[in-house]
Amino acid sequence: MEYSNRLLLKGNEAAVYGALLAGCDCFFGYPITPASEIAHSASLLFPRLGRVFLQAECEIASINMVFGAAAAGRRAMTASSGLGISLKQEGVSYMATCELPCVIVDIMRGGPGLGNIGPEQSDYNQVVKGGGHGNYRCIVLAPNSAQEMCDFTVKGFELADKYRTPVYVLADGVIGQMLESVTLPEPVKKPDIPEWALDGSARSRRNFLTSIYLEHDDLEALNQKLQSKYDSIKKAEQTCEKYFLDDAEIVLVAYGIASRVARTAVKKLRDKGIKAGLLRPITLFPFPNDELMKTLGTAKTYLSVEMSNGQMIDDIKLGISCRKPVELCSRMGGNIPSVDEIMDKTIETLEAAK
Amino acid sequence: MSETNKKTKVFFPVIAKEECKGCERCVTACPKSVLRMESGLNAMGHPHAVYIGEACTGCGACFYSCPEPGAITIIEESDDDEKKERK
Repeated sequence: MEYSNRLLLKGNEAAVYGALLAGCDCFFGYPITPASEIAHSASLLFPRLGRVFLQAECEIASINMVFGAAAAGRRAMTASSGLGISLKQEGVSYMATCELPCVIVDIMRGGPGLGNIGPEQSDYNQVVKGGGHGNYRCIVLAPNSAQEMCDFTVKGFELADKYRTPVYVLADGVIGQMLESVTLPEPVKKPDIPEWALDGSARSRRNFLTSIYLEHDDLEALNQKLQSKYDSIKKAEQTCEKYFLDDAEIVLVAYGIASRVARTAVKKLRDKGIKAGLLRPITLFPFPNDELMKTLGTAKTYLSVEMSNGQMIDDIKLGISCRKPVELCSRMGGNIPSVDEIMDKTIETLEAAK
Repeated sequence: MSETNKKTKVFFPVIAKEECKGCERCVTACPKSVLRMESGLNAMGHPHAVYIGEACTGCGACFYSCPEPGAITIIEESDDDEKKERK
């Protein structure tokens, strides 16, 4: 397909372009606001390029179709919002156990329950901490622009194949719905069907997968193998964006749309002479603990800016081993913290720490 | 597998009779219509799918549609091997 290199895209659409450029073979999904444009866009573009788009009868079916496609060595993805991700968790747990790669895009909306269709970041715990049953984690990438929705979907496929694990692209409703200009990356050369894929031949019979291990020792060995994989991910894949962190007395930590509001707040605080800085985790699992530790030298206190009830604040506390106070600046229910709110809370927190 | 399909190669499915539950998904999935249901039952009391004996292209559609792990294997052989070994 011929394409202009620079397009005006919604974050959701950018994720589909990223998937196509990364050589994604199939999309299985079930539309849900605010992630529907991913399914809409995929249904338009995937068949045109000879790839598979299939709207499943439900979220559980779609993640299990992803399981099948991944087992056959294809690059597969699905997308949903928090409610759908809750349903998909069983399949994700199976994929993590069978060490199958895939990319799952989660466009978070207001919760709990049916909630509303406003932006929230309340899927943090269910996505970053594993979410389904069993001792597993998934790599989680947190974009904060339409450009990053595209780039991180490409990166997601690379990481998923490298570590053979499901990868989440975790964004809030604003990032999914926002129109921004996107420069498309060069297409990735379509990877070969991997050695471990199933194709029906006699040779591939040894690649049959199972996630049932009735011997306790066998299951423990599998768990230990997974944990060592997660340890190597923690060592190698931590990424974050730093903004005025060198001499920051108060470090704001935020991802997604909250990070863009917090960035403006930090800039305005610096204009006022207040030494604020922003650390934006790009990978939520692994959480950028190394960079967080480096801020301990100058920081007096930390502020978690999130659109949830203090879900990320736990990871910040663990990241700095609870050595400094960590406060919460939070809005919920589809509301976004304003620049003024964040500035007021930052000043208040910093004064309390002095 | 169809990518490696050359004229010198012959493909055929081997259906493990006792694994088959008779769901007929492979029969429906086969683009060449070379699978059919056997009238008899297997040891578990299910009807089972069989290959009619020719024209398989090795596309794997039956394998991918089969819900029973390993009930279908696609065998790839050269023409000469086939004459010697195939029943």
